[in-house]
Amino acid sequence: MVNKADLKRIDDCLWEIPKDYRRDMRVPARVYADEPLLDAALLDKSVEQLVNTSCLPGVVKYTLAMPDIHQGYGPPIGGVVAMSTHDGVVSPGAVGYDINCGVRLLRSNLAADQVKPMMAEIMDTLYSSIPSGVGRGGDVKLSNKDMDSVLENGSSWAVSRGYGTQDDVLHTEEQGRIDGARASAVSRKARDRGSDQLGTLGAGNHFVELGEVREVFDESVAGTFGLFPGQLVVWVHSGSRGLGHQVCDDYVRSLQSAVAKYGIHLPDRELVCAPFHSDEGQQYMAAMACAANFAWANRQLLMHRVRRTLQELLAGRLGRLDLQLIYDVAHNIAKVEEHLVDCRLARVVVHRKGATRSLGPDRPELPADYRAVGQPVLVPGDMGTGSYVLVGTSEAADRSFSSCCHGAGRVMSRHAATRQVRGEDLQRSLALRGVTVRGPWKGLAEEAPDAYKNIDSVVNVVARAGLARKVARLVPLGVIKG
Amino acid sequence: MSGHGAATGSHCYEEVEHTADLALRIRGRTVPELFANAAYAMFDRMANLERVPLTATRRLRVSGLDLEGLLVSWLNELLFLQETRHEIYREFTIHSFTMTSLQASVSGGPAQDQHTIIKGATFHNLAIEPTAEGYVTTVVFDV
Repeated sequence: MVNKADLKRIDDCLWEIPKDYRRDMRVPARVYADEPLLDAALLDKSVEQLVNTSCLPGVVKYTLAMPDIHQGYGPPIGGVVAMSTHDGVVSPGAVGYDINCGVRLLRSNLAADQVKPMMAEIMDTLYSSIPSGVGRGGDVKLSNKDMDSVLENGSSWAVSRGYGTQDDVLHTEEQGRIDGARASAVSRKARDRGSDQLGTLGAGNHFVELGEVREVFDESVAGTFGLFPGQLVVWVHSGSRGLGHQVCDDYVRSLQSAVAKYGIHLPDRELVCAPFHSDEGQQYMAAMACAANFAWANRQLLMHRVRRTLQELLAGRLGRLDLQLIYDVAHNIAKVEEHLVDCRLARVVVHRKGATRSLGPDRPELPADYRAVGQPVLVPGDMGTGSYVLVGTSEAADRSFSSCCHGAGRVMSRHAATRQVRGEDLQRSLALRGVTVRGPWKGLAEEAPDAYKNIDSVVNVVARAGLARKVARLVPLGVIKG
Repeated sequence: MSGHGAATGSHCYEEVEHTADLALRIRGRTVPELFANAAYAMFDRMANLERVPLTATRRLRVSGLDLEGLLVSWLNELLFLQETRHEIYREFTIHSFTMTSLQASVSGGPAQDQHTIIKGATFHNLAIEPTAEGYVTTVVFDV
């Protein structure tokens, strides 16, 4: 186990485990945290997992943990690691099973107060109309040809079928379609698992949430994102479903032999990898891109369903309802990006596992309407506390490979959470706090607010560290858990 | 080598605290029994197995580079079957077993009472170790 004495404090919110902590480390491991969050991270094996990740071939600068770090498998959740595309590796375990799990946020033209008296009816209607939970398939059945197109075109496929608009595509990271996707790299089994899952929420921590903008910190940027105090907003959090899980499983298994073939030594087999430029590495990148595109199409369909359901329910009573996509971010993904390494711009493959990209102003990757201010960084918290909209900074490029936290981060296991709280009781206590929740009792209990770190503490760290700036704080009004 | 796992039950495993995912410590008197128990434990965390009827039997053959790789392949193949056929399994019979391959039949039924999705079984710190009573391993699952 890593002890606090093994870390040196670099500044207010940054700690480092030097490269000489363990002989197999190739770069230092850095943790963004204040002292209480660091103490919490040291309670489980997350920091040790970050040290393991620092051993990967071709890793550059340092591995990073965001303040929402917690124990995962392979790297920790909240981990960021970049490998040289020249002599580095790509690792499916460093992306995870839910490839392109991510979140999107929609703004409405309504005040939250207008819908508060109807929350029970709204959440009941959404809960019955959105395929969620275990074993529930969607109503979109994909032919082989459609599946190829989803895998290679992502959100654009969805829009071409009437699920949303071109404006949605423009306001999605990578415009909802990552380059290099090749449908032939995705196994028959992965396609089978995904064939009836497009437009489904899934279970675990996935959710649809209605929220209210409670506090605006930066009026100018909030205005650019179309946010105002008291506004009704909608979150959608889901991923690539069984298709992505199978892609990860396929490549974690098939790359086991690549590790031996290329003479790679790993401290943990879940960090299995292959040289980026090898056939095996490129094959994984092509399949991962397909799963990422599937996830973007999935969130696009989910959003379309949410829009249609709310419009049907509310339009007659409240007049016109506009729900526009502010932005969609991936938080489990590997992408080739350019970053400064040893004072030179280098192409690296950035693995973000439970971390969000955070681009500052003037970046060509951003939609024209946000280019002057930077990327919306969406950080959902637990279902009882609150969430944040942040904006990316130029400083994050140098400090964190343009990365930021992705949520509050768990502190309590699902098992412990279900021992401490019953779903029925949680639903009642949240209702007393003005939050209407729907979901299976066990799923609700596992996601209890107390199972998560304090979102305000996590966001304060990334803001103090300059990885992103606060734009607005949102509070939940109604949540559907899968 | 038939019948391994027919007497499995919740006593064959325990949950180990894991912040975000699911970690199960599984025991078996023999390695094939350990495999059957691991499968039982995984499905026991997904549904109330007492309420799963025995209406379907599936045969499968899996392989791996080594014993740990075989265990991950076995569990993930069962997750694939579970998700695509919408079934939960509770009886596991391993017909043949080597360090790198196995053949088995699994029985169960419709997954109407399933409450948890397991995304995958991982290699994280995975080792199958001998004990005085047989074998033990801890598997971390992504949930």
